[in-house]
Amino acid sequence: MGWYRRLRNLARRDRVDRDIDREMSFHLAERVDDLIASGLSAREAQRAARLRFGNYSAQHERARDMNISTHIESLGKDVRHAVRGLLRNPGFALAATAVLALGIGANTAVFSVVNAVLLRALPYSDSARLVMVFDNFPQQGVDRGPGCIADFLDWKSRSHSFQTLDAAANNRLTLTGDGDAEQIAGLAVTATFFETLGVRPTAGRTFVAGEDQPGRTQTVVLSDRLWRRRYGADPAVLGKTIALNGRPFIAIGIMPPSFQFGSPEVEVWTALTLDPPTRRGPFFLRGIGRLKPGVTLEQAAAEMQTIAAQVQRENPRDYIRLRYPVAPLREVVVGDVRALLWILSGAVLLVLLIALSNVASLMLARATARRREIAIRLSIGAGRARLVRQLMAESLVLALGGGALGVALAASGVSALHRLAPRGLPRLDEIGIDGRVLAFTLLVSVASAIVFGLAPGLAASRAALAESLKQGGRGGDARSHGRARGVLVVAQVSFSVLLLIGAGLLIRSFDLLGRVNPGFQAPPERVLTLVVSPNGTRYRERAALNAYWERLLDRMRALPGVEAASIAITMPPDRLSFTDGFEIQGKPTPPGIDNPAVPVPFVSQDYFKTLGIPLVRGRWFDNRDTQDAPPVTIISEAMARQYFPNEDPVGQRLKHGGRMLNNSYMEIVGVVGDVRYEGLDRQIRPVYYEASTQSTARPMWLLLRTSGSALSMAPAVRQAIRELDPDVPVARVSTMASALSETVSVPRFRSLLMTIFAAASLLLAAIGIYGVISYSVSQRTQEIGVRMALGATSANVRRLVIGQGSRLALAGIALGLGGAFALTRVLKQMLFGVAPTDIPTFAGVGAILGATALLASLIPACRAARVNPIRALRNE
Amino acid sequence: MPKSKNDILQGTLALLVLKTLASRGRMHGYGITTHIQSVTRELLRVEEGSLYPALHRMEQDGWVRAEWGVTEKKREARFYSLTAEGRRQLAREEESWAKLTEGVSLLMGFA
Repeated sequence: MGWYRRLRNLARRDRVDRDIDREMSFHLAERVDDLIASGLSAREAQRAARLRFGNYSAQHERARDMNISTHIESLGKDVRHAVRGLLRNPGFALAATAVLALGIGANTAVFSVVNAVLLRALPYSDSARLVMVFDNFPQQGVDRGPGCIADFLDWKSRSHSFQTLDAAANNRLTLTGDGDAEQIAGLAVTATFFETLGVRPTAGRTFVAGEDQPGRTQTVVLSDRLWRRRYGADPAVLGKTIALNGRPFIAIGIMPPSFQFGSPEVEVWTALTLDPPTRRGPFFLRGIGRLKPGVTLEQAAAEMQTIAAQVQRENPRDYIRLRYPVAPLREVVVGDVRALLWILSGAVLLVLLIALSNVASLMLARATARRREIAIRLSIGAGRARLVRQLMAESLVLALGGGALGVALAASGVSALHRLAPRGLPRLDEIGIDGRVLAFTLLVSVASAIVFGLAPGLAASRAALAESLKQGGRGGDARSHGRARGVLVVAQVSFSVLLLIGAGLLIRSFDLLGRVNPGFQAPPERVLTLVVSPNGTRYRERAALNAYWERLLDRMRALPGVEAASIAITMPPDRLSFTDGFEIQGKPTPPGIDNPAVPVPFVSQDYFKTLGIPLVRGRWFDNRDTQDAPPVTIISEAMARQYFPNEDPVGQRLKHGGRMLNNSYMEIVGVVGDVRYEGLDRQIRPVYYEASTQSTARPMWLLLRTSGSALSMAPAVRQAIRELDPDVPVARVSTMASALSETVSVPRFRSLLMTIFAAASLLLAAIGIYGVISYSVSQRTQEIGVRMALGATSANVRRLVIGQGSRLALAGIALGLGGAFALTRVLKQMLFGVAPTDIPTFAGVGAILGATALLASLIPACRAARVNPIRALRNE
Repeated sequence: MPKSKNDILQGTLALLVLKTLASRGRMHGYGITTHIQSVTRELLRVEEGSLYPALHRMEQDGWVRAEWGVTEKKREARFYSLTAEGRRQLAREEESWAKLTEGVSLLMGFA
């Protein structure tokens, strides 16, 4: 008949019943006929036939069992029964469901992140074959750095591993026309970029081969977001010319709304013109390619290694130990976050285990209370397996209810995540609750039901019969239940210790990070920072641009409340824009060694004054350093220490780039204090500054030191800039305080999450301890009565109870600390300034948990102390 | 009813039913009962209630197929017939039965 028919018959239960009835009635009817024929009366015949047939209903039942999947039917019955039972105990049901919802919901939330970021394929066609290619700068500890145009051309011409290989570089562009001047983020890409990713535009086209060669008409592909925002989703924008940085670009296509590569802020894609390189530098692009079918990542990496060695040999003065690392695109996108996500998953699993222990404890307590009911059921013939099934049905109902509620909690958690998460979190937009997440929740719910329901269920059904209908039977099973709950509490406490230590370490790291001196002394709330982009045709000439900056800075200084103003291409603590190598006159680097590429901020003369960077020797940039004057530079203390250890650097000369460069040397006119440009947690590196008037790069940051709150000056500043030239957009108005806060946003986020989990676990563990101790007190009322009758004081009794709680907690703390010693090393990457086995943190957590256990035991202890010994003894 | 006869019968009910259907073709449950009774000259009597669970089980296992029909007396009855798999099962059961009886006779003949 097959399981299919048995399943189908579930729906036709009544019909099956009737059929079996008909069949068996027929049999009886025939038998009656025969008996009548042999001489019995009708009534006797009926009776005899029935006797001979046997137990009609039992046989009916058995025949039915053959036809219908009765297991499922009885499961349905069990579930209904379970729901009724839970409704009769709403307190227990609510508590258990709430705890489960917390535990399962937290896991669902974290899994939805893991699902979107780590598990789902990237939204490009056949994304497993996509790789990125980088340059490697060993001296800077930069493993995957940008390459130069010459590098890219070498990759393309010398490798055979790629079906297509493209380059991409971030840029910022001023968009004018059709509205206010606006600064947008763009990505310059080579012609086959979209082909490599396998993404098609929703309208128009993307670049064709050769469009990235110099001298071609400039074309641009728009993002869906920009198209809607600025062009009102008008399809006629295709073919129109739009102005980027004052230059005309023809809009040729529009990408789908979901398309994103790299930064989510990118709104236009322009062609990266591959001007024939005159030197090896600047380094600003990254390679993105698709492996040829049949080529593995290892093969491509090995080939690039060989090519790097060739290029190194051919350009000994530009590179040192050159490597071209190749990495899968997915790893580049999510790599940084992977460790954090796994740790969060572990943490949230611990929270779930603690929650399950709590619920199991509740179940055990309930089972003890229902001993009598269970015993009765067993005695009237319910099979033990059936009974366990019924108890499991209860667990399942609780778990599924908790799971459903947990999904709702997770959904709100995910939307909170979208609002609060640091911007750098990869694939943030893709995080949501999809089918796989729901399936995961179901799985976790069912597993939870088994974990917290099975053991108590088995224990309850086993012991019940033996203890059963004895009056006031308190004996063995209650004791063993109590022991089991004690074990659960120890487990809860140790898990809590783990989570608290994790949170403690992260909090300390975050705190230490926040105290790192960024290198400047201006109060951060009093430094206004904004991006000003004079990118139009008017400012193409160097002289015109410099003149604009002059006017702008004068105008800024004239504003009341502005103490100093400057422009810069790079800003602390982590807005690094430009690095380059250098060569010191008179100190040629030996062959095979080269000076590393270091941050090179281009700054106006008041930059150091604006930020409060101390001058150690020499002078600032000043009015002498005009465009035509001899080029000058200022170096940082770290550079002076490292390259001019026993001499005065002022008066010496250095120049940009490598030895081959044909540019002129700059005279060192000053030494300033070290400033961090690469984040607070990185080591300080040598830096040399160039005067903005003398450099060819385009500064972007405007920095203003204000006498009052910087943000309050913002409207006046905007106004002034607009008055100067309305076509120059202003963007990212903020303060240095904000920048400092943002740079630690990821560590802050991490420690926040861990703290939430740790707090939840501490609460659950405290509840667990309280539950176990107070239950134990209620069981030991008689004993306490005896003790008090024999002379124990309230204090003695309190000490007794607290002692019990402390013993449990101590065991848990010891286990937890031991486990933490072994496990916290997984946090190593995320810690700053603290060791994974930081003793003060461990000690602190131990103390917190000890105090919590004490408190949780205190209430039951006081209750115990108030026991009236006479009544306790009388109550047997 | 003498218990011992029924005990043996429980274990071999399938064999008897299959053989009955093989010999007589399409039959309803009552007919199977009376056939067994008459052919074995009342030596074997099927406990009637246990017949139907067994028949339904055999239907589930695919050894017999069933359909509703009408008897000569114009009553509705469910008729069973042997399937190909049922024939194979019959052969298997006959073989085990032969082995069992031979073993028992050998043991009985010993001593």
